[in-house]
Amino acid sequence: MITTRNLDRAAYIIFIALILLAPLVLQEFWLNRIAKFLVFGILGVAVSICWGYGGILNLGQGLFFGAGAYMLAMSLKLASNTSLQQGSDQPVPDFMLWNAEPGAPTELCCISKVSFLWLPFQSQWFGVAMGVVLPIVLAFVLGSIVFRKRIAGVFVSVITLALVLLVRLLVIDAQPVTNGFNGLTDLGTFQVAGFEFEPYSRATYYLVAGFLALALVGGRLLVETRAGLILQAIRDDQNRARYLGFDVPVYQVFFFTVSAAISGIAGMLYVIVAEFASPTFMDLSFSITMVVWAALGGRSSLLGACIGALLINVVAATVSETQMFVEAWKAMIGLVFVLVVLFLPRGLAGFGQDIAEALSARRKPAAVAEAEGRTP
Amino acid sequence: MNVALTIDGIGVSFPGLKAVDGVSMLIQQGELRVLLGANGAGKTTLMDLISGKTRSTEGRVFLFDTEITNWEPHRIARAGVGRKFQIPSVFRDFTVRGNLDVASCSDPRVRANLGIGISRARRARINEVLELTGLADVADEQAASLSHGQTQWLELAMLIVQDPKLILLDEPTAGMTQAETHKTAEIVKGLRGQHTILVVEHDMAFVREIAETITVMHLGKVLAEGDITAIENNADVRRAYLGSHGIGVEAA
Repeated sequence: MITTRNLDRAAYIIFIALILLAPLVLQEFWLNRIAKFLVFGILGVAVSICWGYGGILNLGQGLFFGAGAYMLAMSLKLASNTSLQQGSDQPVPDFMLWNAEPGAPTELCCISKVSFLWLPFQSQWFGVAMGVVLPIVLAFVLGSIVFRKRIAGVFVSVITLALVLLVRLLVIDAQPVTNGFNGLTDLGTFQVAGFEFEPYSRATYYLVAGFLALALVGGRLLVETRAGLILQAIRDDQNRARYLGFDVPVYQVFFFTVSAAISGIAGMLYVIVAEFASPTFMDLSFSITMVVWAALGGRSSLLGACIGALLINVVAATVSETQMFVEAWKAMIGLVFVLVVLFLPRGLAGFGQDIAEALSARRKPAAVAEAEGRTP
Repeated sequence: MNVALTIDGIGVSFPGLKAVDGVSMLIQQGELRVLLGANGAGKTTLMDLISGKTRSTEGRVFLFDTEITNWEPHRIARAGVGRKFQIPSVFRDFTVRGNLDVASCSDPRVRANLGIGISRARRARINEVLELTGLADVADEQAASLSHGQTQWLELAMLIVQDPKLILLDEPTAGMTQAETHKTAEIVKGLRGQHTILVVEHDMAFVREIAETITVMHLGKVLAEGDITAIENNADVRRAYLGSHGIGVEAA
């Protein structure tokens, strides 16, 4: 029997099968490009958990993405040839030498006042661990303050928005340790047990696709737990939940942090695929674009938000090759957002569900008649 | 018999106003107490003080032997105080059953809720309460599509599955038709004995139907306490609230 729930499951399975089969038909160039978009799909899942299920509109999701990206990029920067061949025992990133004060020692520990922070990143796995830990810590601290103070709605958005801009400024300002607005480029490759994840390889594509599948399935299971239900109840009516005995901020902080951790992982994957980390990850426009992906795809559907991200990026990639549309693209994104909010508030996923419901409703009378026919 | 709720000289001042002023009250376990009073008498504020919505500036509140004065609302709820609001408040995007699923959650911690599904005992209890409140037919409807009366009953049902020691009902029949009011009275009467209940209500027909003991508040203070006859014949109450007609006439 066809139920909307089964259709929903089928949609997840088909989507995951598609992204796993895609390399069979994709050229190297597009393989890399789609891998980037799949990373954005993971971000869509993160936004959907936070916004769609938790009702928390985070306009600074880029903060967690950027944090994850920078942490891994620092490790990969130290692993690159340019850092290894600076004539000292320990690797030193090239930009640190360019930015060094005259006469400063050319060692990682002390080339500038805070360059010692880079020391542990000589281990790639330290970078990987920090890529998850830093977003988690940031989200936990931020969430604990914001939600304990019962800040809600648009004020959360304003605070997260201000915070991502602040951090972006700090990163740009700390040129001697972050390479400022140039970001971290010329990185080494990510390695697991000697295997190198080349950005244009199938292996890298599958690494990203695997994490996206994991985010979709794991995220879906998580929002279907009782805790996920309670989170949605809190979204609907915080006060009612509070007077049923739920410590509302605990739930908000938990899911806010989960969303941040997923964003951090997405940031690391992006570094592996795109081979750079840059303060543009923390641009306001990027964080807002993520919200548009989720809105178009349907913020209350993890798969919807993910498909929204893919769709917009594929279209953007095609459109931006036409000179005429390059400038107009941002205006078009804005227009899409307005139209979706006005006419498709549940996004494409909501539209799909409506169709699925209409279909199963039409089949139901037939199924009922059949069942009745069988019983004497 | 045990005392379920002890209010000892509770009070709160807002700037320029003493909304509740040294109110003391004892409610026995299993009792159904009605709180009467004109608008602004401090009835809802008293409920806010008990349930932790408003912090008191004086006095203490005990639930059985536990002092719950000025605890966080969710802790008071966990200690066993359930609250129904004046404006019905339910999870509108959830089905009726979904609302009860959330309300019947026995352990509020995130960690305890990382499972999927619901135990058979809880499912049975939810079905029982759906029958009791007459919502079984609409169990799979979205809460947003319920009528006003059904929404009120859903909120009542949520309280019942939450299984609190003390139930606070703030005008449970507000906006209801006569028939709906009568049914609500039946539900509330059914709870008497198992739960301790404190009801704020304006609807005199309803009060007549359910009341055992009535406490009358006026200008933030307790004016009188007693059964219906005693309250009706109390000279202070007549002057302050009921007019000269007594209970049974709509006293607005």
